[in-house]
Amino acid sequence: MKILELKNLTKDFGGLRAVDNLNLSIDDGQILGLIGPNGAGKSTAFNCIAGVYPPSEGDIYFNGEKINNEKPWNLCKKGLARTFQIVKPFSSKSVLYNVMVGSFANKDKRADAEKKSLEILKYLHLEDKKDIRAGNLTIADRKRLEIARALATEPRLLLLDEVMAGLRPTEVDEMVEIIKNLRESGITVFVIEHIMRAIMALSDWIVVIHFGQKIAEGIPETVAADENVIKAYLGEEYGVS
Amino acid sequence: MGEQMTRQNLQISSLLLVGIITFGLPLVLRSPTYLHILILLYLYAYLTSSWNLVGGFAGVLPLGHAAFVGIGAYSSTILYLQYGISPWLGMIVGGILAAIVGIIIGLPTFKMRGAYFALATIAFGEGIRVMVENIDYLGPFNLNGPRGLQIPPRNVGLTNLMFTTKEPYYYIILIMLVAVLALTYFISRSKLGYYLNAGGEEPEAAMSLGVNVARCKLIAMAMSSFLTALAGTFYAQFTLFIHPKSIISLDLSFEIAFIALIGGRGSIAGPVLGALLLRPVSDFSRIYFGATLPGLHLIIFGTVLVLVMIYQPRGLQEPLTRVYHKLLYRLIPEPAGTE
Ligand SMILES: Nc1ncnc2c1ncn2[C@@H]1O[C@H](COP(=O)(O)OP(=O)(O)OP(=O)(O)O)[C@@H](O)[C@H]1O
Ligand SMILES: [Mg+2]
Repeated sequence: MKILELKNLTKDFGGLRAVDNLNLSIDDGQILGLIGPNGAGKSTAFNCIAGVYPPSEGDIYFNGEKINNEKPWNLCKKGLARTFQIVKPFSSKSVLYNVMVGSFANKDKRADAEKKSLEILKYLHLEDKKDIRAGNLTIADRKRLEIARALATEPRLLLLDEVMAGLRPTEVDEMVEIIKNLRESGITVFVIEHIMRAIMALSDWIVVIHFGQKIAEGIPETVAADENVIKAYLGEEYGVS
Repeated sequence: MGEQMTRQNLQISSLLLVGIITFGLPLVLRSPTYLHILILLYLYAYLTSSWNLVGGFAGVLPLGHAAFVGIGAYSSTILYLQYGISPWLGMIVGGILAAIVGIIIGLPTFKMRGAYFALATIAFGEGIRVMVENIDYLGPFNLNGPRGLQIPPRNVGLTNLMFTTKEPYYYIILIMLVAVLALTYFISRSKLGYYLNAGGEEPEAAMSLGVNVARCKLIAMAMSSFLTALAGTFYAQFTLFIHPKSIISLDLSFEIAFIALIGGRGSIAGPVLGALLLRPVSDFSRIYFGATLPGLHLIIFGTVLVLVMIYQPRGLQEPLTRVYHKLLYRLIPEPAGTE
């Protein structure tokens, strides 16, 4: 079953076409990787899916339901969660507080939300930092907190926007393990990532976009060998010389 | 665990002690002047705590709350003077009316951020004052324009919320303050409290986590304006004279914000602490410099605010809470073997 489908998704910012006729779909339980050079339109695609911007053209289906103009908080209740590329913690609040905000999506009582949040913090090995103010966390822990909060809303589909950027290699390996475990627990994951080693290890299927358009897709090995992809990534450097 | 309990017991005991002192004070303190000052202190602590639901928890800076004080004061006073309806009932009517106005003001303004929101609320507050000043009759209701309304001190007693001594006013506003503090405490620990804080600090993140930020702010605004209006009725009954310039004044809206910011917005104790510190300044500068330097208290507030924002941006409640906890831990040390 398709959990997410984009049909000719297009997003314009004034004269700039950030996403251009993008078609893709994700099967339930899959890990889909989205890659592309800087400014390719990856985060914009995520923002359209998560309800931040309505698409300029095209349609978005979540669980077969059209969600073009749905608000972010309603999408969250339907089971769609996301992280932000530029992390947005509630800085003055503790780590536990941050996660509890997510837990309240499905819980009304404080005690239930707290219990749920502690479970998630434990799962992500953040429990001993639960009382630290989120603004004082290291970048690796902030990225982890983004995931923890999103998970607390009990999503069926999780959008991860560069959760590994800025992490040390060992931390990247840990994050890859975490994401694989998420899939084991039944969550579909749609991931944007620049670190090739990680995206290759994770994804069942990879979509490559450049200037908002899809230029290649396939299993990791095929994409890695694709001429268009290599050109898109190396082209800029060749262009300069 | 046993040690934890005693620490909690100590906290409850100190709260009880504060309760006994505040409730027993009028038995010792017989001077009407001092009681008057204390009544105003509690009133401002109450107003600031009500303001805190929006200005503290939801992270915006409303500067027009005097309008809700005015709505409360005028509603109950008009209902009493023209129809003989008890101010207690008028209080509720005023509260509901203020909540409706609060929602109407909130609908367009909560889309704005920072200074724009603050300016918009000033404009609404001032707009309401100017209207009241220039309207003698609003339909059947006699507002009496700039001259204000006087409540004749007849039929005094609890049913008419009118007394010849200060003590009953003292207890009524004290109970109102305790109630609003309890309410803000429970809200701060509830789902709504978490949502308000989250939406105030990072609206985009909050929305992605299922928070309908605008709706939460409107709920907070409705509660805040309702509670603020109740204080308006109390004030009208306390002074028995309401006047648009003094009751719907920018000065009042600003003083509430000053108390909150200096005491610590978003915390439960902040408004009380702020009122404890700033009300005496207000009173004494009015008593001693009222004729020569009438705006002195606002200049002092401004200076204190600058200093507090530089050294304690979360307000004075933060260092004091820290000292309090240190003291608590010194009195009852952590038992060995626990974390
Ligand atoms: N809110 C916005 N308003 C105007 N232009 C925008 C906005 N958001 C993104 N853009 C532009 O759209 C294009 C795509 O940006 P986007 O952030 O989606 O890229 P990306 O693929 O996520 O890049 P990166 O790998 O650097 O994160 C860029 O040219 C960007 O400048
Ligand atoms: Mg991006």
